[in-house]
Amino acid sequence: MSLEQFKNRNIGTQNYVALDVGKPPKSGLCQFKQVVKRTFKGELFVGLWVTMKAMLKALFGGDMHTIQYPFEKLPISPRYRAIHDMLRLLESGNYRCIGCGLCEKICISNCISMDTRYDENQRKEVSEYTINFGRCIFCGYCAEVCPELAIVHGPRYENASEQRAGYSLFEDMLTPIDKLNLQQEYDGFGAVSPNADENIKKTPLAY
Amino acid sequence: MSVHNSIHTGKEITLTIDGKVCKSTFGKTILDVARENDIYIPTMCYLTKVKPIASCRMCIVDVEGVDGAILSCQEKATDGVVVTTNNSELYTERQNIMKLYNVNHPLECGVCDQSGECDLQNKTMEFDVSDQPFTTREPHRPIENWGHVSYDAGLCIMCEKCVRVSTEITGDEALQLHFGGYSSTILNVKQDKNYASLGEAAAVCPVGALVDTHFKYTANAWELEKIPSACPHCGSGCQMTYEVRHDKIYRMSNEAEFTSLCGAGRYGYDYANKNVTKDAKAFEKAVEAVKNAGTILFAPQISNEEAFILQKIKEKTGVKLVCSEAGAYQKFMQAYASVTGSQLFGGTLKGISDSTVIIVLGTRINDDAPIVKYHINMASKWNRARVAYMHPLRDAEMNTIVTQFIKYEPESEECVAALLVEMLLRDTEVPKEVKTFLNTLDIANLGAVSKVDEEALEELRKSMLKKRGFSLVIGADLYAHPRAQQIAKILALVEKYAGFNVVCVPPAGNAMGVSLICELDDEVTGKTVGYNVKADFVLSALGNGDLDMPALNQQEGTLTTNDKRVVPMNVAQSYGGYVLNDIANALGLDAEYTIEYTKALPSEKGFKSVAFDTLSDYFDTLGIEHRGYLLEVCETAVEEKFEAVAKLDSFDGAVVYICNPKEQFSAFTHLCELLKEEAFLLGSSEFATVTKLNDGERVSFMIDGVMFKRVFKIDTSMKGTIALNPTYDMGLSAPLVSSYRFSRVEIQKIGS
Repeated sequence: MSLEQFKNRNIGTQNYVALDVGKPPKSGLCQFKQVVKRTFKGELFVGLWVTMKAMLKALFGGDMHTIQYPFEKLPISPRYRAIHDMLRLLESGNYRCIGCGLCEKICISNCISMDTRYDENQRKEVSEYTINFGRCIFCGYCAEVCPELAIVHGPRYENASEQRAGYSLFEDMLTPIDKLNLQQEYDGFGAVSPNADENIKKTPLAY
Repeated sequence: MSVHNSIHTGKEITLTIDGKVCKSTFGKTILDVARENDIYIPTMCYLTKVKPIASCRMCIVDVEGVDGAILSCQEKATDGVVVTTNNSELYTERQNIMKLYNVNHPLECGVCDQSGECDLQNKTMEFDVSDQPFTTREPHRPIENWGHVSYDAGLCIMCEKCVRVSTEITGDEALQLHFGGYSSTILNVKQDKNYASLGEAAAVCPVGALVDTHFKYTANAWELEKIPSACPHCGSGCQMTYEVRHDKIYRMSNEAEFTSLCGAGRYGYDYANKNVTKDAKAFEKAVEAVKNAGTILFAPQISNEEAFILQKIKEKTGVKLVCSEAGAYQKFMQAYASVTGSQLFGGTLKGISDSTVIIVLGTRINDDAPIVKYHINMASKWNRARVAYMHPLRDAEMNTIVTQFIKYEPESEECVAALLVEMLLRDTEVPKEVKTFLNTLDIANLGAVSKVDEEALEELRKSMLKKRGFSLVIGADLYAHPRAQQIAKILALVEKYAGFNVVCVPPAGNAMGVSLICELDDEVTGKTVGYNVKADFVLSALGNGDLDMPALNQQEGTLTTNDKRVVPMNVAQSYGGYVLNDIANALGLDAEYTIEYTKALPSEKGFKSVAFDTLSDYFDTLGIEHRGYLLEVCETAVEEKFEAVAKLDSFDGAVVYICNPKEQFSAFTHLCELLKEEAFLLGSSEFATVTKLNDGERVSFMIDGVMFKRVFKIDTSMKGTIALNPTYDMGLSAPLVSSYRFSRVEIQKIGS
């Protein structure tokens, strides 16, 4: 659409059309008559009908334009950086986290704190893991640096809380074991690129 | 006679390394000269403190006119050679070595404990090895738990550093190589014993193959704050670094390239007096108690500054200061100095490791001062030194080091010292008084009383004829001996006239510092205040006194080491309570912090007027120590007066010898989780027969008014009728046990 007509500020040169709005009532009686006339003409229902049509369309026609927040939420971009999730391995259900401590190291607001230990299976295991969401600036470095795609940003973006410090534990962020089938792969920063398969090299450990 | 018999005293040479003209002396390796001149030669297996291992070939250099590469770590530099440390062929060679080191090496740096301080990681990056081009069938090699350390053969690069350290330095000789091509491993041949000294092997491991078991997978190298300090447990004051996170000590490390740390130093760190708050009431009582005290008793586990504060308090209130172990050492050294004319013994630890003959007298050195034992072991391994171990008790742990065990009767140390001096000075020119003294000695009688084998002494004398570089190590048995001063004078002759490198190993903690700083008394009078000692009012860092005090890893200060060095300690753990300085300030002294006394330490005793914050604490690239400062040599008046050797009572029957095991020194090491061990009265089966005790029986006995209740255990490696009795588990009472270490006691059985 051209913006010319809006930029022309020389009133009088445009093609104005005068509307026939009739004559305004002159006496008090005339005014009263006008009110009565308009009231009983039924114009109101013309407008209400339009509303009614839209409502029926939304309710029964599947054409709803609003959502029932907070019961419903709009989907957000996979690159949005919200509250972290801790993912599990799909096959075994084990934690993906290997306790390497890179997220703790890279965190620029120092909000990640972790402790690790030597577990019964001779593996390094996270024994304590907390993120202080009062400090977290959701920069996404932790997800990007994670070599195992264990810590990722999830879709939970509501951060309102009663206190400034809000700690989240490892278990709070971990995919519940019974909802493992619902676990979404992360597509944000640090995720595997779509053509990752082409770039894979064989390891030398051929045996 | 000089003890420095090393080849470093050779002639001046000039060589060219990478175009740089370097001056040095003959005897140094090319690598040494390069490092002196800030020229970098990469190494993997080279460890400065042991002899060149030469297993990695990373240090190869080109020498003009010589075919093939030269190993710079073991090849001595000669005059006029032209050395190239880097060119494209050498680079490719080194890169290939790194590729081979990376064969099958797990790509699990993310969880490896060494990640961040790993030599393999660094050199792999340095030589740009970005993949693993070679592979082989991986044998099954499970992770082995050896107690204090764990071994993961899958990560091992077979550099042999650990084996060399365990053989050449600590002398436990637990680690050996198992050859077998790719499946070569390190073997622990003494797995039945949990050697804390293997921590030293873990410290030099360049990869994550040998790690401290308790530390494994608990933190990453880069997360730990490194706090340099000195070990306060024995008198050695070894360099060490607390690695701390969240106000918790995770592990101890040290400058393992140049210096060593014993098991107690490495694993005995969690003795801090935690969760202490300021208790104003107790503090007032403490000030009152110190004000009215007749005597302050204190344990030698104390910093120089604290000792100085106590001395200041003494000067102010006239209170008596009693620290029995340090007191005995002070008197011994004063008598010693009256002959040598110098306040301290003349020997050094370096001198011990350079010696070819070492005589150990009056100490169970492996238990009393492991670091001194390490130096004896170095001499034994490097110079094939003859080690004569003179003691009433054989020590099975010393078997691999000791050439000659010379046994004597308990309490006959004076006779032994006289015999030794007579033997060593027989053919030496000495002044008239000394000659008369030596001539008056009745050798046959002395031999009979002390039961020293004369032939053994003669053998020792003969073995010394063609050698040079001798050391004498003197220990705590002599300091508390009833005739200590006379013994000191006799042994001082060895330093003065026989040219020995003599080291008088301090008996405990900072006893040497205390003996230099404080004027100590013998008698206990009036009301007593104890600092880590049982008394009427107790100031305790062990957490069980009337007023809490900070432990030595919770305070700043300096220690005096047996190498005659004043070294700084820093704060590793927080402390919220009162310190000794607060009490001193309440009594009218004025110092905001304890360390303000560092520069006030007595200069007439050799201390320098240096502020604590300006004390250096590092080793340079050549391994030269720059920790604190060396005590200056102070001269004393010479007075060579000797008494006749005293007659002895016979020392028959069951005897108890006060001796802590090698990983325990005091009540503080006893608090440490990793060193937990139950205290037993350890004796041979012969001792059991004499005392009619059975293995596992509960007994009680008194020494110096301290009641010991112990389980008796038979140790099959021991012989004779002397049992070992530790004191480390006695808490505040331990410092009270201070008389001569051998004692006849009445052993009573409990519950029989």
